[in-house]
Amino acid sequence: MNTEKLETMPESLKDLVSGQTSRRTLLSRLAGTASVGVIGYLLSGKLRPAYGQTPEGDLGILLAALFLEHEAIAAYQAGAESKLLSEGVLKVAVAFQSDHKYHRGAIIGAIRTLGGQPIEPEKKYSFGSLKNEKDILRLAQKLEKGAVDAYSLLAANIQNKDVLNFGAQALTDEVRHLTVLNGALGIPNY
Amino acid sequence: MHSEEQKSEHKVVILRRQLLYLGGLTMAASALAEPMPGVSAEQKFAGDLAILNVALGLEHQAIAAYDAGAGSKLLTPDQLKLAVSFQNDHKRHRNVLVKFIRRFGGKPVDPESKYDFGTITSATDIVKLAHKLEEGAAKAYLTHAYKLQSIEILDAAVPILVDEVRHTTVFRQLLGLSVTERLTV
Repeated sequence: MNTEKLETMPESLKDLVSGQTSRRTLLSRLAGTASVGVIGYLLSGKLRPAYGQTPEGDLGILLAALFLEHEAIAAYQAGAESKLLSEGVLKVAVAFQSDHKYHRGAIIGAIRTLGGQPIEPEKKYSFGSLKNEKDILRLAQKLEKGAVDAYSLLAANIQNKDVLNFGAQALTDEVRHLTVLNGALGIPNY
Repeated sequence: MHSEEQKSEHKVVILRRQLLYLGGLTMAASALAEPMPGVSAEQKFAGDLAILNVALGLEHQAIAAYDAGAGSKLLTPDQLKLAVSFQNDHKRHRNVLVKFIRRFGGKPVDPESKYDFGTITSATDIVKLAHKLEEGAAKAYLTHAYKLQSIEILDAAVPILVDEVRHTTVFRQLLGLSVTERLTV
């Protein structure tokens, strides 16, 4: 762990980087980070373009995105190893997982470029009981929807245009995955 | 009696709402703060306005294409329902784009007086046309959205991109095309 980098990080991101986190605390920390920034600026009477458009904000968003990508990769891995997927579904799951691996690689590169330390995957993920193909599809749908929501919510706060461009591409992949999974589960896409 | 997990989920929902609300406040504030002294909104966001007007042209075209599809009487009730829903998305996008173009001092482009969508003799022709236009729109947003300077406009463009990709993917499935290919520009 690069403790020097950690020292310069917003308080709310320190635990995230040091791996002491979970999906819930991650979301609440992101909300907390934004709130503090916004309230501070509003109280001080200064205006800036957006609450998250800072290099630290970009790093926080990238770390959050990496957390979700690690989780998605692990979920598809669990699905593939379960032997519960039919051949056609397995093929799609492997392709979607490879998109997430691609995202992971790009995000790690961006985090390092910005001087941050990428987080590692959790040692163990709890995806609940996976007893059949539908359980796996439901899990994937839930995670993809979470990723679409996260990227959509945070995209406009990205300052670095290269990071934003990547974010738009990743969002596009997540929407495609979600749409396909919705279709497979009979959830209307309109 | 709520479990700890339910309470925690509830807290996250509230925090997300708070985040959205605060985001909205800041964006409203940033809109008031624009433009910078001595620079008109039109000058500062000339690039944004150009992108928005191109996007508006695509939305007008999509709305007209769905009108042509619906008016053809070739669609099944389910296909028609889908087309109407997607067209409504495009009408919403159009309205958002017109609002931003006007607010930032630009002039929204009007729809063409006539669109040539080629020969439409079957429902498949309509689905192919819709797929082509939706994929074009998704690629246009993907190519240009990140260049937007106004955070407020960017924030409005994101859900539009999400819609276009969803539409494109649905049509790819209907046409039996691969859904594992990445949309690249």
